[in-house]
Amino acid sequence: MKNIQNKLKRISVIMVLLTVLSSCQNLLDDIYDNPNAVTEIDDAALFTNATRNLLIQTTDIGVYRFAGQYAHYFVAGSTVRKHDQYLDNFDDEYNEVMRNMYGGVIRHIEDVLQITSTGDTKNDVRHAMADVIAVMGYAVITDAYGDIPYTEGGKGKSEDILTPKYDSQQFIYTDMMSRLANDINILKNADPKDAYPRSEPLFDNDLSKWVKLANSFRLRLAMRVRNADNTLSRKVVSECLSEPLMENPSDDASMIQTEGNGNNWYSYKTGFPEIKVSEKMIDQLSNTSDPRLPVFVSKNAEGKYLGQLNGLNDVAFGASQFGKKSNMGDAISSKDSELYVMTAAETWLLRAEASLAYDGDAVKANEYYRKGIETSLKQWDVEDADIVSFLASPTAELTGTQNQMEEQIGTQMWIALTPDYFEGWSYIRRTGYPVIAERTDDNLERGVTNGLMPTRFLYSTHEQSTNGTNVDEAIQRQGANKIDTPVWWDKN
Amino acid sequence: MNKLLILWIVIGFSITAYSQKTVTGQVLSKDDNMPIPDVGIQVKGTDQGITTDFDGNYLLKNVNDDAILVFSYMGFKTQEIPVGDQDVINVVLETDNNTLDEVVVTALNIQRDKASLGYSVAQITSKDANLDIVKENNVVNSLTGRVSGLQVTQANTGVDGSSRVLLRGVTTISGSNRPLVVIDGIPVSGGGSGATAWGGTDGGDALSDINPDDVESISVLKGAGASAAYGSLGMNGVIIITTKSGAKKGGIGISLSSSFNVQDIMLSPDLQNEYGTGAFDQFAPIGDDGRPVLDYPFAWSWGPKMEGQEYTNWLGNQDTFTAQGNPYKDFYRMGNSITNTVAFQGASEKNSFRLSVTDQKSQGIVPNNDLNKQTYNLRASSHLTEKFNLDGRVSYVRSNVKNRPELAEGPSNTSLQLSLMPRDVRLIDVKNNTVDEFGNEMSYANDPTFNNPYWALDNVYNEDTKDRIQGMISANFDVSENLNFNGKSGIDYINRDGTYHAARGSQAIANGLGSYSNGINKSYIWNSDVLGTYKMRFAGINLNTSIGANYRKEFGNSIYVSGRDSKTDDFYRISNYKTTYSSDYSWQKAVYSFYALAEINYGGFLYFDATIRNDNSSALPKDNNSYWYHSENASLLFSKLFGIESDVFNLGKIRGSYATVGNDTGPYRTQPVYHVSQTPTLDYAVASISGSLPATNLKPERSTSWEAGIELGFYNNRISLDATYYETETTNQIMAVPISGTSGFTTKVVNAGSISNKGIEAQLNLIPVETDNFSWDMGINYTQSTSKVNSLNEGLESVILGGIHNAGVTVEARPGEEFGSIYGTDFKRDNFGTKLITDSGDIMKGEIVNFGTMNPDFYGGITNNFRYKNISLRTLISGQYGGVFYSYGRAYRMMFGTDQRSLEGRVGGIVIDGINEHTGLANEVPVPAMLKQFSEVFSNQIATNMILDATHIRMKEIVLTYTFPKSIIQSSPIQSLSISAVGTNLFFFYNAAGDIDPEAGFSSGPTGTALELGSLPSTRSFGLNLNINF
Repeated sequence: MKNIQNKLKRISVIMVLLTVLSSCQNLLDDIYDNPNAVTEIDDAALFTNATRNLLIQTTDIGVYRFAGQYAHYFVAGSTVRKHDQYLDNFDDEYNEVMRNMYGGVIRHIEDVLQITSTGDTKNDVRHAMADVIAVMGYAVITDAYGDIPYTEGGKGKSEDILTPKYDSQQFIYTDMMSRLANDINILKNADPKDAYPRSEPLFDNDLSKWVKLANSFRLRLAMRVRNADNTLSRKVVSECLSEPLMENPSDDASMIQTEGNGNNWYSYKTGFPEIKVSEKMIDQLSNTSDPRLPVFVSKNAEGKYLGQLNGLNDVAFGASQFGKKSNMGDAISSKDSELYVMTAAETWLLRAEASLAYDGDAVKANEYYRKGIETSLKQWDVEDADIVSFLASPTAELTGTQNQMEEQIGTQMWIALTPDYFEGWSYIRRTGYPVIAERTDDNLERGVTNGLMPTRFLYSTHEQSTNGTNVDEAIQRQGANKIDTPVWWDKN
Repeated sequence: MNKLLILWIVIGFSITAYSQKTVTGQVLSKDDNMPIPDVGIQVKGTDQGITTDFDGNYLLKNVNDDAILVFSYMGFKTQEIPVGDQDVINVVLETDNNTLDEVVVTALNIQRDKASLGYSVAQITSKDANLDIVKENNVVNSLTGRVSGLQVTQANTGVDGSSRVLLRGVTTISGSNRPLVVIDGIPVSGGGSGATAWGGTDGGDALSDINPDDVESISVLKGAGASAAYGSLGMNGVIIITTKSGAKKGGIGISLSSSFNVQDIMLSPDLQNEYGTGAFDQFAPIGDDGRPVLDYPFAWSWGPKMEGQEYTNWLGNQDTFTAQGNPYKDFYRMGNSITNTVAFQGASEKNSFRLSVTDQKSQGIVPNNDLNKQTYNLRASSHLTEKFNLDGRVSYVRSNVKNRPELAEGPSNTSLQLSLMPRDVRLIDVKNNTVDEFGNEMSYANDPTFNNPYWALDNVYNEDTKDRIQGMISANFDVSENLNFNGKSGIDYINRDGTYHAARGSQAIANGLGSYSNGINKSYIWNSDVLGTYKMRFAGINLNTSIGANYRKEFGNSIYVSGRDSKTDDFYRISNYKTTYSSDYSWQKAVYSFYALAEINYGGFLYFDATIRNDNSSALPKDNNSYWYHSENASLLFSKLFGIESDVFNLGKIRGSYATVGNDTGPYRTQPVYHVSQTPTLDYAVASISGSLPATNLKPERSTSWEAGIELGFYNNRISLDATYYETETTNQIMAVPISGTSGFTTKVVNAGSISNKGIEAQLNLIPVETDNFSWDMGINYTQSTSKVNSLNEGLESVILGGIHNAGVTVEARPGEEFGSIYGTDFKRDNFGTKLITDSGDIMKGEIVNFGTMNPDFYGGITNNFRYKNISLRTLISGQYGGVFYSYGRAYRMMFGTDQRSLEGRVGGIVIDGINEHTGLANEVPVPAMLKQFSEVFSNQIATNMILDATHIRMKEIVLTYTFPKSIIQSSPIQSLSISAVGTNLFFFYNAAGDIDPEAGFSSGPTGTALELGSLPSTRSFGLNLNINF
């Protein structure tokens, strides 16, 4: 009897212990999940993020500190003017730019591409739209650095690739153009219901506009390789011309950043270091009586349009009365100013160049050139009367040799691309227009490029230490990791 | 009580006839003649023993006449008394000032004889460290220089700033490395904080809420052998704090303690007084508005020599160009602190309590920086029955801090601004001209990243209030003489409410739009323990075994709102802001554990103990969240074993320990998730993926260590030495390793890498003089420790632990190097190390190099205690040798031309020592001093000249105490009365960095001492303290 009691006692002790153990484990399991986040989500929310990032990226430090100053749109003060002095000791910033480009657009769009290509969530239309955003995202990165991880890029989560190999820019461009062709085919015949109804930041899910965006962007890519792979360029351009292209400002891929502090140019303008519009831009606009002058430039405290010369050395800058120079215009630097990644105006001007270069058709080129100017003026709500008079001015008429005409197109492209300054810099690198003169004057800083406009960003030491083998391979292929090494398409 | 005593005596007499008899008596303390409970009484050479009861009485049966009774109690000198024909042995125990041969509090609050321990433990009593006299805001600061292996540094971050606390160096790359803090058996929150190089404030230290007046003793468990019983919590060592409990008094005792101290500037940078505003030896150009255009570099002190000449000052007024002296003295105020404590304590036969209230008011040297703190503490215990007792504590702290100073590169860092202000600018002008007619901030420089320091004082505000409640209850049940159960549960709850706002009008802050934030954080840590202990004695062996379990839960919840662009002035609520943001966050984590301990004592000279513990954590992957830790410790009293103990050589002990402990991680690092973005203006959803890739197979960090030590005592411990050598290797480091951004992600959480720590710790105590009227004792402690990075994640060259971006300086962990190596750019040099100089006489940018480690070669302290009759003088000197830090503060001052050292070469330029890069000949071309500094600090970011030696010796503390003799206070109700004069951080005996305090960083993180940036002046304090007991 006692034995049985003892056994019962022991059994009950063991049972109590087991119960305690399992309930302990339940306690842990119950609080394992992060209550501040979700483990699954509709890819629409990631698509919106990537798309928004693509536009917000046009205002990041790669543009504000580097591209915008390289392209002589503006000059920043204090330490940020070191970039304008063509120096290259910005290791952290090169890393930050690359990290943000991959972390903003690519990280999220790669997730969308994965979700929309597998299982229950497979959706070709969404996949095609995401693919367009991915291509647009990669295009900016390769334009900035040259060779970059592309086929293996952004796959840290989906495929656990932490040291992605670099692809040549040539391969990337060729592939991007073919991806877009495929995307255009899918989107042309797609049902908007399958796309992102009520979750599409650019065109409110209007797929015809998505086709125009994809095709116009493809035209940009095709023109970009004009000097590097002329045959491919001609072939793709002709394909693009047979598909719908952006024609009116209503086609523009733009967005207003309503979140947070709004448009970053507003923060930069009101913050520190200050940004002042370049002398080059103000001279160009005022010398041609361009009605976009008051759009892109504000008058200074004394009511004048006063630009800052790019590239001054420290002593000359100290004496330059920088603080009195003109700010950016309110239309492009208010909290609610639009951001752009592709416009109809640019598309027309690309077509002008294509007509001139590929068809030798100066008349058609002039027609598109004028269309580009007109569309740009409309984009900025210039009064009709001013549009008419500006179109009547000699600036709006292509004349002279092919080079002179290309320079005219280039200058208008440079203006029309405002405020997509990064694309402005890429355009100048490819065409050499408008001419950014070599710095020879004593009051100018020649930097590490002997006074020539830098042509790329550096691979950061962070990238070299975390992905060294692959970066080395890219440097072998592309040339020294310097800011004046041209990228593949830059044959100018 | 007396009746009982008589009864014992009668019984005692009645059994004298037998050879084995019963001995009774009472044990009293010599200090206050009060009974001492729990005194151990053992028949020497046997395992027969007993302890005194609550009134100090004991009764020991079956004692032979030739037996020797050993009376021992923690903190008192052990007495041995031969029984002979006595039946009543009343004993008066003397307090023992020697640190060896004592009972110490070890892991899980188990009290053990220090001689039995196989690892190094330091126990500091309140009296040893003057805790209740000096009253450091953070009680751990009082341990600086007193405990080998423990490094405590406090940055200059205003009142209630946090401290950097490290035990045996840094062991983990990404953890806080702060030791676990346990109060009365319950682990509490012990986090610290600090600013970043970009600015911010020091939010304080959870350890600051421990009231020094309530602390009885602090026990420091340095190594894993000592802390293995805490499993994954104990990896960084443990600091065990025991609070005061109700002392044995007849009736109720009242203690009053009152202290007042003032702080003034001990050290501030040396500024030059010869050159004023301008650049290139010129005044700044005058603008159209009649004011100089003070863009950089013209707002620096590279202008003309100040000779009293007329010039246009920054306000546009005619003025004389003269130096304005030390701005720190005028800008900062004398700080002060007043602390008053009243404590009631009492005890009856079965119950005791201590209730204390402390009020502390402090004013920092930065005007507006105030602390107001109240602490209520109740400790009570009750013997409900002979075998069952309860002990409990509840404390409530309310602390309010206003205007924690902004630090480092923050625009409102007044110290940085003052150090860079052109040397001719009159502080009174700055004070009287903070805002212009449009309401915008005015400043002597057009650089809007810096505030006018007076504008900052008037317009930038922060305040935080913390309510903290700690409760603990412990039940102890002695089932039999051999079996004991203990259950404990305690909670540490913190509610912290912090608000910040800045007015409109300053470019430096929120683009001049004004900003506001308010955050509320709640958190608790809740711990419950049960422990059963069984004692066995057989064949000369004492064996204690214990089995226990622990459940720990941590919880946090925060709500935060912020806004910018204010609608109306002087109104600070979220409704007043045009752009707003809000967030909330909550987290929880739980760990349950089982553990077992065994402790074997053979013959009183050989001790062995072992611990095993199993932790199960919710922060680790679900199917792999259980881990084992263990320790084995041995101690051999060889002096006893070989019977060589004598008056000359009274103690010889060797000890050794081996242990494995661990460290899990914060919650939610093992699962990929999507965060839903707050997008009030959008009608579609936006979600994001964190840039840090989770580790789905995460394991805890693992630290394996061993240590060996020796303890020697001579001349009855008038000379005693305790030395330890240890090695620790921490592997499976949990770190978010930086990965290539091209993967789409910036970091990935991994288990990787290993860090090795090695060190020597020694403590030497001397009592050169010990007489009734005069005594002198001295303690010297020495610590040498290294912490070397063996490896990181494969392919990873370096983990950046901190840095100053604008200077290109980083603090790094690199394989094969010391943790916390400081990297920066050196001059360009030839193969022989000679600087290469350009044709224009300027330096060039060279390689990025390792300038050395922040870790000292060795550090330590010397305490001296002198007592002459009723006067005692206690001093503490602390210091370190070796270690470097980078001062961007000095770099800034050199570039701005305000530093004393920037006077070099003002006339005629500086011929830099080096060779011409083209000719190879010695450089003879002078470069203007301003361009040299500009080129070195700004254009080329060369760190070499700003890497400073952190070697220093500091007069840390002097306490002079007069205790009124009993004869004077006899007729009053006062039982004891003492008055003390206190001075802390008084001066440097030696400071290699000259005008910069090497501990004056901006963060209390593991690398907090590596970087300095415009720190607040170091302060010293003088004060008086009065202690009265009724």
